[in-house]
Amino acid sequence: QSAQVAFGGLQHDSSLPVEVVADQLQVNQTDGSAVFTGNVVIGQGTMRLSAAEVQVEYTSAESGTAGRISRMLASGGVVLVNGGEAAEANEATYTIDTGSIVMTGDVVMTQGQNALTANRMVIDLNTGTANMEGRVRTILQSGSNN
Amino acid sequence: MAIYDNAYSRFIAWLKIILPLVALGLLSTLFLFSRGIDPSQTIPYADVDIDELVREQRITSPNYTGMTDDGTAVSFFAESARPDPDNPNLLTAVALKAKIEAPSGLQVDISSEGGSINSTQRQSVLSGNVEVETSSGYEIFTERLTAALDGSLLETARNVRAQGPLGMIEAGKMVLELEDADSDTYLLVFKGGVKLVYTP
Repeated sequence: QSAQVAFGGLQHDSSLPVEVVADQLQVNQTDGSAVFTGNVVIGQGTMRLSAAEVQVEYTSAESGTAGRISRMLASGGVVLVNGGEAAEANEATYTIDTGSIVMTGDVVMTQGQNALTANRMVIDLNTGTANMEGRVRTILQSGSNN
Repeated sequence: MAIYDNAYSRFIAWLKIILPLVALGLLSTLFLFSRGIDPSQTIPYADVDIDELVREQRITSPNYTGMTDDGTAVSFFAESARPDPDNPNLLTAVALKAKIEAPSGLQVDISSEGGSINSTQRQSVLSGNVEVETSSGYEIFTERLTAALDGSLLETARNVRAQGPLGMIEAGKMVLELEDADSDTYLLVFKGGVKLVYTP
């Protein structure tokens, strides 16, 4: 089953510059593929996505432009923080142009007090909504009564 | 002087005396008033230090090209190069440029203000505003770069700023090396903390 959740209240602008900080970047000079390794942090606006390794994928490089970045595949334990919410998963794919992040592999999302877990989560940064699918379980803190 | 009865002839007679005198005067100004030739002023030679040139051997615009067994063409150009007095295998060069053409089609152009080529260690050190341009669209700026003479390894000593298809990159160090000994794909690796800014 799936659940629709608000994620990251403030508007996220996906045309902001993307900043990637890592220990190492390796660019294969033949096919141009680039891999960031070593506590990689992708930052854009208020969104921070940290992972152990990020593979960068281009739009088709022959499309005339210098091969714009189309997707970033983060793997090795991903933590996403946007505004007040945080989400964790094994892998995440961030498509920059559409501003959508797909997190897979026992996703845990915390919003303030309550937490949700699922197999897969699709976050749309522009509308600030997250769609969780597959064995969604929520743990709602019903407020402390002591 | 003959006496003429009319003014015109007298005038011409006077002219025949005055005009040569004026001509003589003009001619003399050519020699009498000419600028004094100062014999002590030396002729402006090129002020190249002759004995320095004689003392050390110097090659102007040397050119070193080589082809490795896997087909990578490596060439070095410089404005001038001087062998190191105490180490004959070490050449110090001015305005050193290098070009590596790999069989995989990758072409790397390196230019720097100066550098040295050490044939015993099989490597060259380029220093001073080093600029590396790869055919894959990367422009890398650094201060010091060590290049293997067989073109298999480029390594910068200090931090690096690069501009490429990925965007603007700053890193602690850069290494351009072969993926492994027998493959011909080069890997451009930025190490020591990488920061990339990409504007969509």
